[in-house]
Amino acid sequence: MRLEVRGLHSYYGRAHILADVSLEATAGEVVALLGRNGAGKSTTLKSIIGLVRPAGGTVEVDGTPISGEPPHRICRRGLGYVPEERRVFASLTVGGNLEVGRQPPRPGLTPWTPARLFELFPNLAGMGGRAAGQMSGGEQQMLTIARTLMGNPALVLLDEPSEGLAPVIVDQMVQVIRSLKREGLAIVLSEQNVNFAMKVADRAYIIEKGRIRHECTIDALMADEAMRRTYLTV
Amino acid sequence: MNDLGFYLVQALTGLSSASALFLVASGLSIIFGVTRVVNFAHGSFYMLGAYIAYTFVERLGGALGFWAAVLLAGVAVGAIGVVVELLILRRVYQAPELFQLVATFGVILVIQDLALLTWGAEDLFGPAAPGLEGTVNILGTRLPEYDLALIALSLVVLGALTLLFHRTRWGTLVRAATEDREMVGALGVNQSWLFTGTFFLGSMLAGLGGAAQLPKGGADLLMDFNILAAVFVVVVVGGMGSIPGAFLAAVLISELGAFGILVIPQSTLVLMFVVMAVVLIFRPWGLLGRPEAPGQHGQVGPPEPPLRPPGPRLRAAGLLLLAVLLALPAFADDFTLVLAVEIAIMALFAASLHFAMGPGGMVSFGHAAFFGGGAYAAALLVKYAGSPMEVALLFAPAMAGVLALLFGWFCVRLTGVYLAMLTLAFAQVGWSIVFQWGEVTGGDDGILGIWPSEWASNRLAFYYLSMLASAGGILALQYVLHSPFGYAMRACRDSVVRSASIGIDVRRQQWFAFAFSGALAGLAGGLFVFSKGSVFPDEMSIPRSFDALIMVLLGGVKTVLGPLAGAVTFTWLQDEIGRLEYWRFVLGALIIAIVVAFPQGIAGFLRARLGPWFGVREMEA
Ligand SMILES: Nc1ncnc2c1ncn2[C@@H]1O[C@H](COP(=O)(O)OP(=O)(O)OP(=O)(O)O)[C@@H](O)[C@H]1O
Ligand SMILES: [Mg+2]
Repeated sequence: MRLEVRGLHSYYGRAHILADVSLEATAGEVVALLGRNGAGKSTTLKSIIGLVRPAGGTVEVDGTPISGEPPHRICRRGLGYVPEERRVFASLTVGGNLEVGRQPPRPGLTPWTPARLFELFPNLAGMGGRAAGQMSGGEQQMLTIARTLMGNPALVLLDEPSEGLAPVIVDQMVQVIRSLKREGLAIVLSEQNVNFAMKVADRAYIIEKGRIRHECTIDALMADEAMRRTYLTV
Repeated sequence: MNDLGFYLVQALTGLSSASALFLVASGLSIIFGVTRVVNFAHGSFYMLGAYIAYTFVERLGGALGFWAAVLLAGVAVGAIGVVVELLILRRVYQAPELFQLVATFGVILVIQDLALLTWGAEDLFGPAAPGLEGTVNILGTRLPEYDLALIALSLVVLGALTLLFHRTRWGTLVRAATEDREMVGALGVNQSWLFTGTFFLGSMLAGLGGAAQLPKGGADLLMDFNILAAVFVVVVVGGMGSIPGAFLAAVLISELGAFGILVIPQSTLVLMFVVMAVVLIFRPWGLLGRPEAPGQHGQVGPPEPPLRPPGPRLRAAGLLLLAVLLALPAFADDFTLVLAVEIAIMALFAASLHFAMGPGGMVSFGHAAFFGGGAYAAALLVKYAGSPMEVALLFAPAMAGVLALLFGWFCVRLTGVYLAMLTLAFAQVGWSIVFQWGEVTGGDDGILGIWPSEWASNRLAFYYLSMLASAGGILALQYVLHSPFGYAMRACRDSVVRSASIGIDVRRQQWFAFAFSGALAGLAGGLFVFSKGSVFPDEMSIPRSFDALIMVLLGGVKTVLGPLAGAVTFTWLQDEIGRLEYWRFVLGALIIAIVVAFPQGIAGFLRARLGPWFGVREMEA
């Protein structure tokens, strides 16, 4: 799986939110999209998955253009989307939430089952019958990722998974992302929390006011304190 | 006779009449949950179920044939629902909710004429269900066997739906989509098929309900509107989207009907509203429903641009229009003047509805209650007190205002579609009262011979009088809109929380706005009586409410001039089409076509083209 985004423009009504956003991600790679509040991270991910319809630019998966397709088609091409607001189905059980995400296996990847997901997210194990609305924020964050994985995506768009989580849970999240990377998934991670991104990401794009300002390896970003100060909250 | 047996039978009778209500209401609830469309044509699907079952029963015969006919009718109606979804609704899912409603209203009209064409105007008596013609003896009182079959049917359906929603993947997807359909799409589920599937299921349930009640109630052309109001009450009381809630509410209301009739005959309507009042006060989202996040539904499209006082060119255009209207009698014939009067009255009616639903954010599906309320108030005053026209014309808006205060007290406790459904239910109660209370209102025969005073009785004088009153009413609405009251009202529409935090009593604000809007609809109704010389229950009926809705939507909800444009187009159209034999079909088809072609309304469409020239700008984001 190779995702290529070139020259993306998106609007909310008349507000021009994304201007000329380009980024790439390939299998086995974790790419961080870093930026402050309101920089356009979520909008970028939504434009890729099709929840926001891009006004210009292209999104390609393995060379096939997908922008303009409805979200369910894009999803079936192997893109998984984990929303920032989690959006679990509150009245459904954990099992029900996973069922909604279920899609056929994808060739070349080990298919996800609830049992395998409970290994990845031990907190969820034994909670299969609990209503999602009655879970803690951290548990809901795990559930929303597990639900997306049930679709057997080759690439996951993860919107601020560490937001509002206790440090222990954040550490678990680091482990989860690392093991997904080992499975050979591509991950696009939107983050404000540079420290979190530095633990998992290979490369980084820095977005500000809807434009990509900088692109570098995560090591280069770690070395460049001035850059972090200019564009990110440290 | 054994008392206990009597009460038991009464209770079972209530349960059996709950079955149709439950089937139809659960279907409506399921469709709404996923597609967010309040399917007005649901009553029509119920009616079609009865008619189609009638035809099938005739063909098939026998006990097996009877039940096969009932099932087949359900499936056939489900298929019709799918056709409606695919051909019409699928094209307008992106449009504001109200356009979808108006489209489904077009479907009602089309189905009414198709049913008339196919089965004729005569009521059809339902065949008895073979093998269940008898009665059973319950502690000395007799109960028709078929009543027990209906009770069993509703329990079976309740069980089947519970299994479907909790034990199958499809059911899980539907429940998820009811919460967040966009997210379901992002998880790879094709929403289109989910929508079509729920439409099939929901319509099938309505059809089944109609088919199953055939032996008790037969089939007639009024079934569609008759069940609609009751179903809306059931859904509001039970909680939108909850199947057990629909069951509970259907049983509650039917039992009240069954026992209420014993205590105070003809009190069922009153009792129903007492129950509704109690439920709404303590659980505004219904018995088993979930509270709605504020602003979730009932939003008429994206946030509205702030209203601006009219620009100079718009004012000039208004003055020009006024000049034309003043000069019209000089070169128009009588026929044109009569039409112009009707347009003016309808414009006022539409403007009053626009006031409530556009800037007020309270969509009324039952505005005819106030139009008809004003009309009847004026007519009754003239008839029983012999008062002159001038007094009656003041009495009409006053009484309509009082009525709107009464209904509004309940309505402003709800928002969005719940509020809208409640207004429709109230209007239907009003209609039943004037329709059934023959001694006072003349019932179906209406009240005749209500003519203007001497000085206003010639065409010209009445023309100027109605122009003056309508223009005055519309300007009053405009004036209030741009007054502090209007600002506060729009603030409440845009954010309840923030309005409350700056010290606005949101409910009271909306309550008074609703009443003001109702009063002006009443003024339109009063003028209407004197222009026609008579009043009939039609003036309070659902189609009359929809006239106003269609006018507002034709004109576009977001434009203040919209109602005017809508009234002109619609009144003229109705005048042209009204002479045709199957005018409902033509009008319905036309409404559907317009909604599909101009989802912004005609004035909205024109505004996008001509607006900048008139200085009507949209706010820059
Ligand atoms: N639904 C919307 N309608 C209008 N504007 C929006 C909407 N959603 C976001 N915006 C605006 O778009 C810009 C980018 O928002 P976005 O959510 O993409 O930022 P973000 O980088 O994800 O921020 P955060 O870190 O707070 O999640 C912001 O200025 C925001 O105000
Ligand atoms: Mg964000």
